[in-house]
Amino acid sequence: MRKYNKNVLYGLYDDDEQLLTAIHNAREAHLEIDNVYTPFPVHDLEEAMGLSESRIHIAGFVYGSIGALFGFLFMTWVFTRDWPIIFGGKPYWSVPAFIPITFELTVLFAAIGMVVSFYTVCGLWPGVENPTLDDRITDDKFCLAFDVTNADGDKVEQLKSFLSGTGASEVNQKAI
Amino acid sequence: MNQFTFTAKQKTFLLAMMGLGLLSMVITFFADDALHTRFWSNFLHNSTFFTGIAFTSLFVLTAFITAWSGWHVLVKRIWEAYSLFMIPGLVLLAILIIGLYGGFHHLYHWADAEAVAGDAVLSGKSSFLNKGWYSIGTFVVVGAWIFFAIKLRQLSIAEEKVQDANFSTHKKMRVWSAAFLPIAGFSSAAIIWQWLMSVDAHWYSTMYAWYATASWFVSAMALTIITLVYLKSLGYLSQVNDNHLHDVGKFMFAFSIFWTYLWFSQYMLIWYANVGEETVYFQERLDNYPVLFFGNLLLNFVAPFFILMRNDNKRKYGTLVLTAIVVLFGHWWDFFMMIKPGVYHTAQEVLAHAASHGEEAAHAAGHHASSFVAGFTLPGLLEIGTFIGFLGLFFYVVFNNLTKASLISEKDPYYGESAHHRVWPF
Repeated sequence: MRKYNKNVLYGLYDDDEQLLTAIHNAREAHLEIDNVYTPFPVHDLEEAMGLSESRIHIAGFVYGSIGALFGFLFMTWVFTRDWPIIFGGKPYWSVPAFIPITFELTVLFAAIGMVVSFYTVCGLWPGVENPTLDDRITDDKFCLAFDVTNADGDKVEQLKSFLSGTGASEVNQKAI
Repeated sequence: MNQFTFTAKQKTFLLAMMGLGLLSMVITFFADDALHTRFWSNFLHNSTFFTGIAFTSLFVLTAFITAWSGWHVLVKRIWEAYSLFMIPGLVLLAILIIGLYGGFHHLYHWADAEAVAGDAVLSGKSSFLNKGWYSIGTFVVVGAWIFFAIKLRQLSIAEEKVQDANFSTHKKMRVWSAAFLPIAGFSSAAIIWQWLMSVDAHWYSTMYAWYATASWFVSAMALTIITLVYLKSLGYLSQVNDNHLHDVGKFMFAFSIFWTYLWFSQYMLIWYANVGEETVYFQERLDNYPVLFFGNLLLNFVAPFFILMRNDNKRKYGTLVLTAIVVLFGHWWDFFMMIKPGVYHTAQEVLAHAASHGEEAAHAAGHHASSFVAGFTLPGLLEIGTFIGFLGLFFYVVFNNLTKASLISEKDPYYGESAHHRVWPF
């Protein structure tokens, strides 16, 4: 089991609009948000949290380019150097016939590369168990979490009152 | 500002463009070969290109209405105005039909009765490739398109006027739109075979119709972007923002790739099967028109693919307009490549035949065009001038139609959705 060794204070909201308002207020008050959990993708969430744009698509472009080059050069090597065979009277280096496979390998490399990159960045690999704060955040609750591992009592009280003040229906603390 | 005013300055500018086009056409006509091949092929090229753009605009509009799309409402007046260009388009095509009956041009090999009689392939196709089908087909098909364009335009304007809680006018639009789609799909294919593919009368390809329609589609999107940004620069359409442009840009990007897919499918199947009567089309273009052939791919695939791939490039007005201009010119270039080699070949055969009435001379004409021929191997200044002239005519008609209704259809049930449209950041 993966351990974060964190002590987390979190509030559960019933509504995504409440959550967005709470995030907005937290950022106004310069409270550092640890994470936000929602049962479904919420519009404007990235913007509200101030997250920068994902760079996964740049990685995807690079993987795709590698796939295209690999596919094309591999076929070129096979059909001109390694094992030249004449197919249907076509030249050994038959570029049009290579295009569909080059395309497929571009897609394959980009897709697999992006999935592997994404999982690696998120720390998801086979057998990993991620601690959940509350089962209901995969169902109907929206969760805003603060890291209180190094916070003193006053800070925790301040955060608790912030969470209930912004409409959290439940405020809990949990070590994960 | 919801009411577009067609200013005297714009009129003068567009009339000057048309004047330039007319001048180019007159010069082409008098500096031409005996058959006026260059003049007539330019005429066919631009008439079908712009009529097709008008047709695909109507197709896009009806497809969006049928799909219950909301975002396009702020853009729809532009497409309505585009679609009405089919009326002058039909007049242009009627001139081609008059030329066909009068024998003024020799664009189509199948129109030459003597050639058809001595040719097994052409006489085999003569039940479809003949003057009657060509003219009736054009009038019936474009006539039907115009009927739907006018019908939708009328309903769209009627929607403005009536207070209608049940949206009955919009529901009528939905019915007419849905009815148009299958008609558009089949009729456009059939008419493209007549107008364009039959220029190479011996050759045929089942991909051709879709390939040409995809060209029209991308051109229509490119022109939409140019018009939107131009109208915005004048202060109109203040509600249209980068989200709407992003969506039109996505269509331009996606259909550029779709066009490439069809281009490649057509090329690879013919290359792979290696049947002489099919490969002749590409053999001719690769041997004698290599700049046209490869330039086509550069303009219509490489440029839009790499420029528009990034998300934010579809939201930058300058980048988007630049790409739109490249792609519009690219598809005009694509049509040039579809038409010119076939027309040139036919003209050479007719000329050689007229000169000697001999088999050998006609046969020798088969080995032509190994050298540069202005206006055929590449578009010359006169072709560019003609293009500018037709563009001027197109925009004159479009602006004239834009003045006849408010630029924004506020009574459309999806108006609110379009006004609040947001696609990115997600």
